Amino acid sequence: MSSSQITTRISQQVVKPLISTSNAEAKRRVLKLYRAWYRQAPFVVLEYDIPIGEKEVRAKVREQFEKNKHVTDMRVIDMLVLKGQMELKETANIWKQKNHVMNYFKETEVKKTDDFLTNFYEGHHV
Amino acid sequence: MAVAAGRILSNHLLKNSLRNCVASGLPGLTKVCNQLKTINVHNSRCEQLRYETTTTVREAVPQANAQLEEYGKMCAEVLPKYIQRAEDHHNGQFLNLSDIAGIDIPAKTNRFEIVYNLLSLRYNARIRLRTYTDELSPIDSLCSVFIAANWYEREIWDMYGVYFSNHPDLRRILTDYGFEGHPQRKDFPLSGYVEMRYDEDVKRVVAEPLELAQEFRKFELGSEWEQFPAHRNREVKVRQVSPGESFKQVAKEGEDK
Amino acid sequence: MLGYRFLSKLKHVLRPRPTPSVGFARSQEAQAVANKLEVFIDDQKVVVDPGTTVLQACAMAGVEIPRFCYHDRLSVAGNCRMCLVEVEKSPKPVASCAMPVMNGMRVKTDSPVSRKAREGVMEFLLVNHPLDCPICDQGGECDLQDQSMAFGGDKSRFVDNEYTGKRAVEDKDIGPLVKTIMTRCIQCTRCVRFASEVAGVEDLGTTGRGNDMQIGTYVEKLFASELSGNVIDLCPVGALTGKPYAFTSRPWELRRVESIDVMDACGSNITIGMRSGEVMRIVPRVNEEINEEWICDKARFAIDGLSVQRLTSPMVKSPEGYLENCDWEDALFCAAEKITRAGAGNVAAVAGSLVDAESLVALRDFLHRLGSETLTVNSEHPSDHLVNDLRASYIFNSGIVSVEDADHVLFIGGNPRLDAPVLNARVRKCWIHNELEVSLIGQDVDLTYHHNHLGETLSTLEQLLDGSHAFAKTMYAAKRPLIIVNGKILCGENGSRVQDLALKLANKLSQQHAEDGWNVYNVLQTEASRVAALDLGYKSSSKSALTKQTKVLYLLGADDEVINRADLADDCFIIYQGHHGDRGAAIADLVLPGACYTEKNATYVNTEGRAQQTRQAATPPGLAREDWKIIRALSEICGVTLPYSSLSTARQRLCEVSPSFSRYGDQEEALFFQQVVSLSEDSSESGATNEKLTNDMKDLSHFYMTNSISRASRTMAKCVQAFKDKD
Repeated sequence: MSSSQITTRISQQVVKPLISTSNAEAKRRVLKLYRAWYRQAPFVVLEYDIPIGEKEVRAKVREQFEKNKHVTDMRVIDMLVLKGQMELKETANIWKQKNHVMNYFKETEVKKTDDFLTNFYEGHHV
Repeated sequence: MAVAAGRILSNHLLKNSLRNCVASGLPGLTKVCNQLKTINVHNSRCEQLRYETTTTVREAVPQANAQLEEYGKMCAEVLPKYIQRAEDHHNGQFLNLSDIAGIDIPAKTNRFEIVYNLLSLRYNARIRLRTYTDELSPIDSLCSVFIAANWYEREIWDMYGVYFSNHPDLRRILTDYGFEGHPQRKDFPLSGYVEMRYDEDVKRVVAEPLELAQEFRKFELGSEWEQFPAHRNREVKVRQVSPGESFKQVAKEGEDK
Repeated sequence: MLGYRFLSKLKHVLRPRPTPSVGFARSQEAQAVANKLEVFIDDQKVVVDPGTTVLQACAMAGVEIPRFCYHDRLSVAGNCRMCLVEVEKSPKPVASCAMPVMNGMRVKTDSPVSRKAREGVMEFLLVNHPLDCPICDQGGECDLQDQSMAFGGDKSRFVDNEYTGKRAVEDKDIGPLVKTIMTRCIQCTRCVRFASEVAGVEDLGTTGRGNDMQIGTYVEKLFASELSGNVIDLCPVGALTGKPYAFTSRPWELRRVESIDVMDACGSNITIGMRSGEVMRIVPRVNEEINEEWICDKARFAIDGLSVQRLTSPMVKSPEGYLENCDWEDALFCAAEKITRAGAGNVAAVAGSLVDAESLVALRDFLHRLGSETLTVNSEHPSDHLVNDLRASYIFNSGIVSVEDADHVLFIGGNPRLDAPVLNARVRKCWIHNELEVSLIGQDVDLTYHHNHLGETLSTLEQLLDGSHAFAKTMYAAKRPLIIVNGKILCGENGSRVQDLALKLANKLSQQHAEDGWNVYNVLQTEASRVAALDLGYKSSSKSALTKQTKVLYLLGADDEVINRADLADDCFIIYQGHHGDRGAAIADLVLPGACYTEKNATYVNTEGRAQQTRQAATPPGLAREDWKIIRALSEICGVTLPYSSLSTARQRLCEVSPSFSRYGDQEEALFFQQVVSLSEDSSESGATNEKLTNDMKDLSHFYMTNSISRASRTMAKCVQAFKDKD
């Protein structure tokens, strides 16, 4: 179920806020989280010893945030922020390992194509 | 095993609806299961018993049921925020939170059912409390009442994505760092979304979208003789035992036959 | 033999026909409606025809009775006693499989008496049955196991282990296909009845009596039947199991894939048992219209050929003349270069016997786009005069099931027993039960039943046509005659002549006595790909492809001896696409590895013109790819890209070319039979009539290895050896 569907369903009821009580507060939380991630970027590069620069890490952070830019429901925003915070904590405390961080960058993934010949050579099913 | 079930709506609805229902005396929200006591007839000379498969069911005692129902209602009334009433109740003393479980029924408005299993060692009784929520409605954490709730709630969060407010340390407990999704949700595919492998080129484990190169293992256990409905499902003889009757009497009867 | 035939006919009068769908009891139906019988099964009323057995009546009421010896398609033996039920007013429980119902009969299938009887029978069976289920190949699909769980007692009284022990029986050696562990045998005699009734080989029998009764061949000999594998499925216990399959897997581990057999053109329905990407075994799937529930040994046991001799990588011939592995890109570019250089009309293609319809249509469209029309099937026929423009001239028009209604079958050429074993089994069944008369023109062979051998030459056919043959009168008297022309004869030297005469004879027969709408003319194709190829406009003679003009010859799975390097120009470039390193690959300059029928979802059209599909059970090995995709890829490299890149669009294209591909499982009726006859008259040629009709399937040793898969199979090689060593 997409988050928008949930939103419409929920919006008909009186709902309990997750954390934020207003849109402004939710927005503040997002910005705060983004700022924290932004500041964490150099430490991520340093501590995890990854072959990627601060700039790319920040771009990746931005990309992850922008992936959800269509979200307007306060509670969905809150839930995403909560998960983002947990993720940040896991990263900052070095609970994660190098591969967990690197999975964001999807280096080895082969892009799927509709080209018949490419799929034929690779042996992929069309 | 005595089971009483106080059936409670999710917290955010509780304030209004539950209060109304309980006030108007509607049993709709609170349902108490029949008290069931199952006694397994066990005898060292079991093979000599003619009806080994007989199930013995203790008769329902209406009075005791009513009492439990009453108690369930009381729990429902007080639980929404603090199960501690159940814990502290002098006649209950459910001091032990043995388990918290989750159930996902996507068709329901409040799709997640959170089940608290409480145990009273004092009275050898168990009580099961249910509450309902959806993906975005938080539930109050029980950690302040039962220290045991900490990890159980982390597990529910990890597996179902139900948020517990005021939890001291809510984070993943079973899944790997970076894992996306909540695996016990019914809409989470059995195979997951990613597959992991060690990549020789980048010298580390990588997660890639699922391609299932390996066959999914599945056993087919059907037999052509399964289609013998007339000869299967012979009715299991059930013998009711009145409350006063002892196991020994039941066993002895079996021997006589 | 004759005695047996008489007996079984008598038996047939006494008992109802074995399968409900067959149509040989038309006349009985009228009377039957009038006097139905009323029986009560567990107090449930059922109205049945007289002559129905209690067991069948119970099945109608939805109550299955346990049984071991009873089988729908075999005669009733009544010797296992497992089907005992209590009948009211009967002093003893009765064997329901052999007991006809009587009016008002009250049957109790689950009463204490019935249950006790079953438990008793089961106890007797188990007294002499070894407890070796953990090492028994039948474990998991064993009737004895299942029924002892459902109906047997729950405790054992067998305590005599240390003294006399259980009965033990020496194992028999009945050939390389069926493994026997006779100690496990419960003497249900299903195998004996199958051998004598369906397979028509009286090799199996019982010796001794009482506790000493044994199933066997008396003297050690080969169970020489093309249908021998079916006794494995029939055996309710683990006494007869598959020898190649021994100790390989358990039934619950197998993933079942419903597919189609391509070893002959009948298109028998099969279930492929697959485990971890490997085909473990093949068992038949019931299809009343084609194979009932039998399949031939080649279909069942040739599967070990699927994993050997496979082409797993594209190969190109090096300057030294050796085929060397290369990758797909190189192979396709090499092929494209040769094809473009050859020029429009100089590319020809020959399709082999195991090719699916999707790749046939892809190759057809590919060649048409290149500007070439030279597409042929694998055939020795000298010219293109064979009338194959209309469907009625090359398919089995009346359908395999029509044998049930026929009163006379005339085989022209070939050996139907080995070319189409399941068809032959049906003819034999009708010969036993329906007074079916069978005659054969061509080399005389053992068909497992009595038949009139009319002659060996074309002149026999001519004599039949003008009425001078001694047998002509009988033939013309037939109400529902069938002429079944062997596809291989049509491809042979005299093909056109045979076709012409057979068509005329068919026309004459249908005008004489035959009922309206009865199709007389039928062709029994022997190659699974043939009907689809002809539907798609492939020419019926390879001669036009095998000329000195051909610059590039595309062999699509063509492995037969027809293709000879000597017929071609020296600089002719041969591309072979297929799955086995067989004759075709041996003469090729470029090899493109394809998938075989267990590795692709593909369409095959059987000899009746019935489109059916195989389903993928395994993945093609190594770099091998599905066949139509190879052609599609090659077309793109050649710059004439085919407009379909998925299986569904390829199938849409198939339906565009011929609507007969649009429905799976149904036989598409061919029209315009009269036009076929008149066309054949136009093209009729006269020739020598005293030439013999050749036949390459003289006995079983020729049956086992007929295509690239079965030629690669070790099991099939062992069968040939065993048959040769037999005498």
